[in-house]
Amino acid sequence: MSGVSVAKKAHTTVSARRKKTFMLLTMVAPGAIWLILLRYLPMFGIVMAFQDYKIYTKAPSLVNNILNSKFVGFKNFKFLFATKDSWIMIRNTLAYNAVFIVLGLLISVTFAILLNEVTKKFVAKTYQTLMFFPYFLSWVVASYFLQAFLDPTSGLLVHAMADWGMKPIDFYNTTGPWPYILTIAYIWKNTGYSVVLYLAAITGIDATQYEAASIDGASKLQQVFYVTLPHLKTMIIILFILAVGKIFNADFGLFYQVPMSSGPIMSVTQVIDTYVYRAMIATQNYSMTTAAGLLQNVVGFVCIMIANGIVNKFDKDSSLF
Amino acid sequence: MSKNAQMVLHHKKKRPFNAVSVPAEVVINTIMTLFCATCIIPFIFVVIISFTSEESIRKIGYSFTPLSWGTEAYAYVMKLGDQLWISYFNSFFTTIVGTGLSVLICILYSYALFRRDFKFRSFFSFFSFFTMLFGGGLVPTYMVCKQMLGLSDNYAALIVPLLVNPFNIIVMRTFFQSSVPEELIEAAAIDGSGEYNTLFKIIIPIAKPGIATIALLNALAYWNEWFVALLYVRERAKIPLQYLLMQMQRNVEYLAKNSANMGADAAAAASSLPTQSLRMAMVVLIVIPIAFAYPFFQRYIIAGLTIGSVKG
Amino acid sequence: MKKKLLSIVLSIAVTATMLVGCGSTTTETATDATEATETAEEATDAEETAEAPAEEAALDISEPVTLKWYLHGSTVNDDMAVMEKVNEYLGEKLNVTLEPIWGTWGDFDEGSTLAINGGDDVDIYFTCSWSANEYNAFAKKGAWVRLDNPENNLLEKYGSDIWNTLPEVLKAGAQIEGSDGYGVYALPGYKDFGTQNCWDINVTLLEECGYTLDDIRNTDYYGFGDILKKAKELKGNDFYPLLVEGLVLERMVDNSIIVNGDSGSLNVLSYYIDPTDVSKDIGSKVVNKYATEEFKKFAEKTREYYEAGYIDPGLANKQTANDLRTSKQLNADYLIGTQSYALGYEVQTSAERGIEVAYVPCTPPYVDKTSTQGAMMAISTASKNPERAMAFLNLLNTDPYLMTLLEYGVEGVHYNLNDDGLVVFTDEHDNYQPWRNGMGNVTILPPQEGEGKDFFTKTFIPYYDSAKAIPAFGYQFDPTNVETELAALANVGEEYALALCVGSIDPATALPEFLDKLEAAGMSKVVDEANAQLDAYFANEQ
Repeated sequence: MSGVSVAKKAHTTVSARRKKTFMLLTMVAPGAIWLILLRYLPMFGIVMAFQDYKIYTKAPSLVNNILNSKFVGFKNFKFLFATKDSWIMIRNTLAYNAVFIVLGLLISVTFAILLNEVTKKFVAKTYQTLMFFPYFLSWVVASYFLQAFLDPTSGLLVHAMADWGMKPIDFYNTTGPWPYILTIAYIWKNTGYSVVLYLAAITGIDATQYEAASIDGASKLQQVFYVTLPHLKTMIIILFILAVGKIFNADFGLFYQVPMSSGPIMSVTQVIDTYVYRAMIATQNYSMTTAAGLLQNVVGFVCIMIANGIVNKFDKDSSLF
Repeated sequence: MSKNAQMVLHHKKKRPFNAVSVPAEVVINTIMTLFCATCIIPFIFVVIISFTSEESIRKIGYSFTPLSWGTEAYAYVMKLGDQLWISYFNSFFTTIVGTGLSVLICILYSYALFRRDFKFRSFFSFFSFFTMLFGGGLVPTYMVCKQMLGLSDNYAALIVPLLVNPFNIIVMRTFFQSSVPEELIEAAAIDGSGEYNTLFKIIIPIAKPGIATIALLNALAYWNEWFVALLYVRERAKIPLQYLLMQMQRNVEYLAKNSANMGADAAAAASSLPTQSLRMAMVVLIVIPIAFAYPFFQRYIIAGLTIGSVKG
Repeated sequence: MKKKLLSIVLSIAVTATMLVGCGSTTTETATDATEATETAEEATDAEETAEAPAEEAALDISEPVTLKWYLHGSTVNDDMAVMEKVNEYLGEKLNVTLEPIWGTWGDFDEGSTLAINGGDDVDIYFTCSWSANEYNAFAKKGAWVRLDNPENNLLEKYGSDIWNTLPEVLKAGAQIEGSDGYGVYALPGYKDFGTQNCWDINVTLLEECGYTLDDIRNTDYYGFGDILKKAKELKGNDFYPLLVEGLVLERMVDNSIIVNGDSGSLNVLSYYIDPTDVSKDIGSKVVNKYATEEFKKFAEKTREYYEAGYIDPGLANKQTANDLRTSKQLNADYLIGTQSYALGYEVQTSAERGIEVAYVPCTPPYVDKTSTQGAMMAISTASKNPERAMAFLNLLNTDPYLMTLLEYGVEGVHYNLNDDGLVVFTDEHDNYQPWRNGMGNVTILPPQEGEGKDFFTKTFIPYYDSAKAIPAFGYQFDPTNVETELAALANVGEEYALALCVGSIDPATALPEFLDKLEAAGMSKVVDEANAQLDAYFANEQ
């Protein structure tokens, strides 16, 4: 196939190639301009992570403020490692993300494939719509829903446990259940979203491939492994790489709102983002947040480059760039 | 034979060709039903709470079977009067225009990235991906948007900040990769079709499910956005629904938390608010319209599902 | 790829700086011009002949000026009618057009800090000790103009009318260390500025239990046991008699107060006062309060009450404790509560809750620096017309017509005056409701119906006049050198403080753990720093 296209390309003239490149550049232009203005331009603000940011009282404007603020090296990063507990929040962030990436992937791919097998479209549509609902609910609302079950005095689950003769658990004071609760909550909220992505990718598969496989006597399961999954591969890999880039970031709402910011369970709910938020309330130091964000992104960037490098080695087509 | 006609045919017959066995489908349906139940029950709960009287919430907390029903929360929201409808309009307007524009930009950008013969392919891939990780942060972005680009108190302020999402670009490119055969483009080029013509006449019809998905994600993002409004819009005639309600809720919560600092009149105001049911009523008011819009996108995502030999 | 990347980033950074640089040159020159002339008079018109700087410095109002004014806590949907009148009046008096930015409770914190950090052209900001654009921190950052700068004493020149009518303690409270030295960086609002923590007593239930208010007055927290027990027996198992805000409870019981400048970090630092005579110097130092014997005793007692079922476990839930407290108060579902008092609470809460509510104070009202900074107006360093801004603030705080107009709206539209001259709001009030305490001097307003004709002269002013300043009143903690530690401490505090103060965890195991973690997070360093500053303060005082 590639040999054919090379041969064809030889026919195209230089000017045609130039024109094509130009046309494609015009396609990229609107997005690229936006990215330059709204993403790359503000990046000069990153230097604030290394500054003791002060307002330049003679002519306050962001640029003047930055130009006239003192550089303090890595001082703003220090608060992330100021306690013995630092490793706990880093461990939590990494461990939860690892579980979320793997479980999330398995469940949403499985669900997408299963949905594809539901024979009545109306039913499939209904499932898919309902699955999306948690995405509409904010974590705050979800946390109130959960509280209705777990509340130490009026919680439905707590009452039920008492009725069954079990000793009710004081959930907001007990660390044990929270890794499970948070994982389930994550799956619950995000599955609908990623199922749509995989589903749309499945929809793009040419139906004749299934027919051919079926005529060749392939079972349903074999069709999944030999037709569906290879087609989903690129999407799976891309979403995986992107998720790896966020390995040092955590969903703030999930870890702050859902456990109701309860203190005694912080050893299993504290992640980098919640730590930074709590520190921010205490100090109102904007440079420190910038520093924390920068650190998270640098780590994510390194991870993505590694993951993308590996993918590039084995399967160039599926890599990110 | 058209797809619809075939579908009808299949409905009349028994099971479609190449469908899973009946027991397997029962299992699938059971799993799906259970999962969907956990997804929709919280929302039903939210609706119930929103119609629960504040008194009942104060007495027994949230419950599927409240002591008494009430519409205090909705009455409180309705006090907004015309503002509510203005904000609904603003939300619809920014969602429609914003989604249209952002989908267009996304398709153009990702199509170029999808083209393997594009000279600057990896450069522009990296160019967009890099911004997923690194940004200047809130203050510099705010300054650029407001002071340089003049995004303040206008519809552009609600639309422009969300216009491009690198995640969507990458996902869209992946959709192209998995559904558009490259021979097609080459064939079109040989036929003398221009780049734009190829994209709009040949590629887009094939990539409909992917485009619908991206449109859905964009529409959701626009509909749910309130923080951008908080940053750039002060004029009441321009604020979208999501922010109008969010503002109300944040006010109520702030008052409840800090009333000690504000003296007797603020404390009195705080204790008279339907704090808890209000929170839920807002969810209902925001979700209903977008939930109704959902099938519109879904049509393209599900319709193409490859069930058996439906696609002839 | 790396090289490419680097070149992109660099080229963009350069373009960015150039672009933005160009944009700001104009403002820079403008401001430079302002600076050059600002010592003498209004700067806008260069053609104007330079006047000699006069002591009384008459304000030059020949040029029209627009002032942007960022407020907190407003519920304003329609300010057309009001602003028309305001600007007509201000135009005459000061040649000023006022453009208020009606910040709300929900958006002020983000909005104002972004506007300040991003350099928006706002002239006047609301600021205080509890909002995100905190007075002290942002004065240090350089956000506020020093009003009593010896070189250009705005306060003396254009703000003397209001400054001379403010209570001494408010003036002293406004003096802080800022970017421009020790001085006044904002004009304090004359509103309730004392602090008085009280036991909030459900008298109706108390009497049902066979006790009287005197029984509460004659004992303390440690002696509440019997009363609480009686109430629990009377009302059954689902009733929790003690309705507390954990952290406030601790302060009430131990007589500790918030150290000014440490408001965000769950008040790990503490300073103690004498509950009978708040102004008496008891030689208190700043301490880690959790390591004191008093705290241990308090935590143990609280745990005992919690285990006995006197405290609702829901109060340990930071996110919902407020909702729960409000619900229980409104249902009169409590016996003893905690309340930070403000004038007029008895009448208001008794009516709301349908019971007789009484407040038993733990201390006389006192004034600390934090409470004097409860609502202030600061002139932004980004303002091009600080003189006019000061003159406006002066007029606003001394001119009842202007103040009433801005606070209550237009007479006959937003409110009416009844026969006693008291304010009765109309329905239009819903569309124009600034936060009363958030503008400035409330004592020049006509009282509202229900407050009584002489509310301000007979009740308000005497009450706050009676409030005494604490011994280290002028002391203000400067966290600059220990921000790293405070960030870590805040996180440790979140983990334990509330739970210990409500009793939901056992102090026998949790307290030692807590103290260990505080130490590891640098508690000693912070305490030492605070005490060094306190010593320096006292040395300065003498």
